[in-house]
Amino acid sequence: MKPHSLPPLLLRAGLRYQRRHPWQAALALIGIVMGVAVVLAVYLANEAAKASFALSAEQLRGAATHRATSADDQVPEIVYTRWAVDPGHPPMAPVVTGQLRIDGQTGRYRLVGLDLFAEGPFRDELPGAINGEVALGDWLAQPNAAALSRSAADTLGVGLGDRIQVRFEGSPYELAVFAIIETTSVASRDLILTDIATAQAVRGSPGFISHIDLKLTDDAALAWLKERLPPGLEIVDIAQQTRSTLGLSASFELNLTAMGLLALLVGLFLIFNAISFSVVQRRNLLGRLRALGVRGDEVLRLVLAEAFVLGCIGTLLGIVLGVWLGQGLTRIVAATVSQLYYQAAADALQLDALSLFKAVALGLGGTLLAAWLPAREAAATPPLTTLSRAKLEQRVQARLPRLALSGGLLILLGLIIAFRVPGGVVSGFVGLFLLILGAALVTPSGLRLAHRLLDRLPGSGIWRMAVRDLDRHLSRLGTAAAALMVALAASVGVAVMVESMRLAVSDWLQDALSADLYVAAEGFQDGASLPATVAAQAARWPQVSAISRYRDRSLQVAGRRMTLIAADLAPPTRTGFDFTSGAQNRAWSGFDRGELLVSEPLAYRLGLSTGDRLSLPTPTGPIDFAIAGVFRDFASEHGRAFLERSKYQGIWSDDRVDSLALFSDQGGQGLQRALDPVLRDNPTLQVTEADGIYQESMQVFDRTFRITEVLRWLSLLVAFIGVLSALMAVQLERRKEYAVLRALGLTRQQVSTLILLESGALGLLAGLLAIPLGIAMAWILTDAIQLRAFGWSMPFVVSPGPLWLTSVLGVLAALLAGIYPAWRSAWRDPAPMLRED
Amino acid sequence: MRLMLTLVSVLVLIACEATAPPDPGPVGTVRVDQRMGGTADPGFARAITVPEFTFPRDHGPHPEYATEWWYFTGNLHTSTGHRFGYQLTLFRIGLEPGMPVTDSAWRTHQIYMGHLAVSDIGSGRHHSAERFARAAAGLAGAELGPLHVWLGPWSIRGDPVATFPLHLSAQGEGFAIDLRLERGAKPRIDQGEQGLARKGATPGKASYYYSFTRLPTHGEILIGERRFAVSGSSWWDREWASSAMPASQVGWDWFALQLTDGRELMFYRLRDQDGRTQAFSSGVLVSADGAHRKLQAADVRLEATRHWQTDDGIRYPVAWRLAVPDAGLDLHVETAFDDQEMHHSVRYWEGAVGVSGSHNGVGYLELSGYAR
Repeated sequence: MKPHSLPPLLLRAGLRYQRRHPWQAALALIGIVMGVAVVLAVYLANEAAKASFALSAEQLRGAATHRATSADDQVPEIVYTRWAVDPGHPPMAPVVTGQLRIDGQTGRYRLVGLDLFAEGPFRDELPGAINGEVALGDWLAQPNAAALSRSAADTLGVGLGDRIQVRFEGSPYELAVFAIIETTSVASRDLILTDIATAQAVRGSPGFISHIDLKLTDDAALAWLKERLPPGLEIVDIAQQTRSTLGLSASFELNLTAMGLLALLVGLFLIFNAISFSVVQRRNLLGRLRALGVRGDEVLRLVLAEAFVLGCIGTLLGIVLGVWLGQGLTRIVAATVSQLYYQAAADALQLDALSLFKAVALGLGGTLLAAWLPAREAAATPPLTTLSRAKLEQRVQARLPRLALSGGLLILLGLIIAFRVPGGVVSGFVGLFLLILGAALVTPSGLRLAHRLLDRLPGSGIWRMAVRDLDRHLSRLGTAAAALMVALAASVGVAVMVESMRLAVSDWLQDALSADLYVAAEGFQDGASLPATVAAQAARWPQVSAISRYRDRSLQVAGRRMTLIAADLAPPTRTGFDFTSGAQNRAWSGFDRGELLVSEPLAYRLGLSTGDRLSLPTPTGPIDFAIAGVFRDFASEHGRAFLERSKYQGIWSDDRVDSLALFSDQGGQGLQRALDPVLRDNPTLQVTEADGIYQESMQVFDRTFRITEVLRWLSLLVAFIGVLSALMAVQLERRKEYAVLRALGLTRQQVSTLILLESGALGLLAGLLAIPLGIAMAWILTDAIQLRAFGWSMPFVVSPGPLWLTSVLGVLAALLAGIYPAWRSAWRDPAPMLRED
Repeated sequence: MRLMLTLVSVLVLIACEATAPPDPGPVGTVRVDQRMGGTADPGFARAITVPEFTFPRDHGPHPEYATEWWYFTGNLHTSTGHRFGYQLTLFRIGLEPGMPVTDSAWRTHQIYMGHLAVSDIGSGRHHSAERFARAAAGLAGAELGPLHVWLGPWSIRGDPVATFPLHLSAQGEGFAIDLRLERGAKPRIDQGEQGLARKGATPGKASYYYSFTRLPTHGEILIGERRFAVSGSSWWDREWASSAMPASQVGWDWFALQLTDGRELMFYRLRDQDGRTQAFSSGVLVSADGAHRKLQAADVRLEATRHWQTDDGIRYPVAWRLAVPDAGLDLHVETAFDDQEMHHSVRYWEGAVGVSGSHNGVGYLELSGYAR
């Protein structure tokens, strides 16, 4: 027989084996399917969220290459109109934008006011799309004419001629639907288009536009503009600008990315476990083939061919399941995004080539890799050794110290990379990945250690058998335990991170919300400011013992947004500040001299500390401010800075006030009663007690992390199913062994107990090992990744809840996995089992 | 007379600024309605009675009427004999009558459309451009004291005291004009019945219309990197109306000729669906001393002698025999070169022509309603 004629025969042998052990094949398949599905689902949901954001942000960008804008998006329209009558001007278009709320709707909508006559070079479909629907005269002259995309109209449930009550910064305005645009280029769900005049009216900002879109094809055009650029305005390259200014909070996105990576890890482990087990359990067959003269490389090829078939089927099914799961997830993500940021479409799910490639790479690549390692080992081993289970276990055990050592080193390396190596979020994730890998390598040694400890406990014979089995079957159980451990640890890590953040935010809020009452104009969240009379008279209101005044302003610093808050801060407000750099009294005396207090994220991002200087754009050009202190702040990931209000007024000539913090000896409710007559005169004032703001803020926090929770549970569920199937496969493989035990006189009860004990012990062990790993992961997520991403430092708090939930889940999964094999081994007649093979 | 905007139910293109390519392609279009054809909003004033023009007031805008234009054409040449024709037209289009709400400086009922063309006769190339803007926020508009009509960077500026000289400045991609138009010796000609030019039998189917038929012109034409110092003479038409054109008319052939003997001849032939000359076709013959007489359809014999066909099959009559027997005129009017088509939101042919036959001269010819 020529060597090359063997493979078909071998393949048949392999397939026959699979057919005779359908359970094993099916369970390995489940591992692959679950792994692929969860990764694909999370990936699709993430991509849908990002795509919906990108669509919303970029579809209106059109052909613009640059943008003339100011730090606060208030460009005097005369800048544009002057350029427009100058013969040398490049293609340009004025744009007025704003965030709208719509009565009765959640989320924000984007108002975009355009001059159709200037749009030709930028969004060439738009004029036709609008004008096909509405007479030009109406579009220009009707002060309420608006056009919606089809999806926006569907979301709002409105049709042509319907009216929509919108609010900009709390001020109401009525728009009417004059056109519904069917073209896909303006499909964004959150888009309300109007003529530029109407947009100015909605914003209540005559004389100002938000920015000027520019199409600059050469340096001469840029030079032309720069020569004529008034102070306070800048030309921004749009490609560089996209992300930082609009919408989707980076923390939310990081969240999704982290969950995607964890899903990938869990998926990889599941596949690895399922496949490597299916190879390991066939060492006997492989050994026999080798003994019959099959060459090592042929065995290797056989195993890989089989794995390939299994991988193909599993990946295909995984993709189907992943898309289905992804749709559900996408809806949840879209709902969260809609509530927190802007109207996102849940229908943006796209199975593109990249996502398919990822799924195939994971499913097939993971399967082949997982098969290759044990198969290579089996192929390289002398046939007789391969035939012996004991030899395998011996070898595995002999390798344990080396495995544990390299695992330990990886953990160390991971921690070093995460905390000591610069490289931002990426090195944080690399460190995290290494940590997990290291922990997985250590797991078999942990199993061994546990065996030794448990072995010393007094217990029945069955108990001893169960405990010893842990050690005897290390080759199979090791990977399963590692897979379960990684899945559980991921869940612990994320839960602990979220919990830490939640506590930190909650503590910070309670410190920061020191006043008894907060007063703001209605629509304050969207930028409305208080009536001048209210701001001026508030200090004389009855029962008010102290008052702080705030005015927010968005500035562009170092290419990103930040918020400047001009404030008079009363002494009790000041006590709510927690300085991470700079002494308390020095910080306040500096602040009173007109220096800046900057938030931790801003300081982190710009590498600032007390005593440094920060240049802010002002109407009279950039001004350097000294930094008096850095305070802990979770209010904004973009960064905030406080400036004494009189100093601010002197520079910005702006004496508006957005909100007030009132202190009283009477407490919040007493003060509210005392202020009743005042409030009745000013019905548009929003008065909130500190507790109300606290509750609302925490709700926002919880909403942001709701998707994290969902994803955490999903990956846990998948891990659960995967591990369940893996453990079940392990136990089913040992049917014969159990049959022997039965034949030797063990009762059914004893056999079931043995199996359940063994399984439960494994689960418990995985759960216990998952706890330190999970905590370490949370530590990296909190102190390395969050800090690097947002500049948030927070006390790292481990709450017991998730920890023990994890252990319980581990045991539960393992016990469940034991039930069927236990039942089967206990109740089936052992005789046929013994005759097998 | 330039009712160009009117018959064609105009699809005004919001095209690419002044840089519109010859073929606007499938860019977005804005339907401006049949501004002068069809029925205008009854809120607009109509040209019904014989006007009493007052100047400089009537050089300025008449927003109570739906449409109006400042329409300049001319034949120019360099000292070395390189010849050019040019056209600069600013149209005011009232979308709705009355004043808009005043919630924003951008709010308006009025838009401006501009057409600019330079016919480089020396090299046989026609350059053209189109612009749009709303008449608000200083982007486009017309005002008096002194006369200033502008659309983005295109402008017509009058002398603060005497309106003349007029300063015309406009740019397309790779070409521009910068011209001074002097008053010259010829008087203003009030067309039709002392400025009321009837286009149909129904009262109100008319426009207010006056012309300056020979304005000595000099200035500069820019083609690519080359600047040409030019001089010659221009023709200025001013017209405003609300839905002046009867529905039965499909187009017209308009001649504005400046003869070397000092006379000018203007004649427009209104065509119906079958290409027949309509009764309200009319014109004017201005003598060298400025006296003028009205021409009726019956006074003029008009015959197309040669057609030029565009690549997509539109046939324009670009050579004519035009005779006014009782004025001793038997003219051969021939385009300076064939392709002087204006292919923008509105498609028509407008170009420089030469005159020979019984008399010599130059002029401008406008052919509308062929591209249907």
